[in-house]
Amino acid sequence: MTDVARERLAEAQSELLAALLAGGPSPAGFDERLLRVEARSLLAKRRGIVAMLAPEVVDVLTDRFRPLFDEYALDHPRASGSRAREDAAAFTAWARERGELPPVAPKRWWRRNTS
Amino acid sequence: MGVIDRLGVGIGWRAEIDLTVERLPDVDFVEVVAENLHVEHLPESILVLRERGVPVLPHAVSLSLGSADPVDVHRVEHLGSVAEALGAPLVSDHVCFVRAGGLDSGHLMPVPRTRDALDVLVANVRTAQANLPVPLALENIAALLEWPDGELTEGQFLADLVERTDCYLLIDVANLHANARNLGTDPNRFLDEIPLERLAYVHVAGGVETDGVYHDTHAHAVRPEVLELLGELRSRVDPPGVLLERDDNYPTDTELANEMAAIRAVLARHG
Repeated sequence: MTDVARERLAEAQSELLAALLAGGPSPAGFDERLLRVEARSLLAKRRGIVAMLAPEVVDVLTDRFRPLFDEYALDHPRASGSRAREDAAAFTAWARERGELPPVAPKRWWRRNTS
Repeated sequence: MGVIDRLGVGIGWRAEIDLTVERLPDVDFVEVVAENLHVEHLPESILVLRERGVPVLPHAVSLSLGSADPVDVHRVEHLGSVAEALGAPLVSDHVCFVRAGGLDSGHLMPVPRTRDALDVLVANVRTAQANLPVPLALENIAALLEWPDGELTEGQFLADLVERTDCYLLIDVANLHANARNLGTDPNRFLDEIPLERLAYVHVAGGVETDGVYHDTHAHAVRPEVLELLGELRSRVDPPGVLLERDDNYPTDTELANEMAAIRAVLARHG
């Protein structure tokens, strides 16, 4: 195998993921409709995993969870090697910073944790 | 078949249905997602199944063997260590990529069916095989989109991959149905082109059709068209194993048992 083959493939794969995950331009030759279907499917999968890992955040945000998550996701595509739990934590921090979630209350040792 | 022998009919083990898998009748083998396991802390349920002599096959989702990026040998070694801890006769992953340009897609992406991409895949598969203690089987994925300028059909691509790497195949008939429905793949031609003598086992899963697109969800019932494809495959070859995958929206134990019984019935009817 030539290194050239690997480089060409690297470029094509990077371009496709940038289009699907980070709002990059559509790579040439792909069906636009299928690119949209794929992008939506990947976003839905990522959103579903974060919802499963952070149900308490979904409970607070209710209807706002989906649009907020989708906005966050486009600006913060998952980096290679990152974990789903890190994604959930990063989204929570992002939403809190924007005032969408209440600030973290300091834990009081005498309060029974009922959650 | 040598290393693989007869596996029978099995189900994907998931932590959410561990007790179900233990008490379902006639579970001949199970599959576990390798990335979810730590060799030092194997789930009790997995150990129970191993004590009963049920084969447990590690299935990986993150090797990204179709990536232009070099193989992450640590991931391969983890898969190998899980296989050794479980005494598994083989391991598997997919013909796909999940990482490129510093991003992670979070799901299995198709590779271009070009000679370039095949060369890269072959090199990556050989690296993985050199770092694994047991044989590797590779699975066809459900793709929602197709790369332009493909030079080979999916069947030809897999056949060349097997010829050049001696890997086994894990054929997912639900993915085959998805590609037929969404991309126009000809399932009969696919089955004609792949080397069925290298078939390790078969995946069967449920899905749903929305807005004219079939989604391979693993969260819905198995559709009759998918069982028909299993029958089509069975009429050509007696697969060593067939495994039902269910990953979400878990139904009752009875429904899962019925889906496994339906698989057995198709195998018997077309045998």
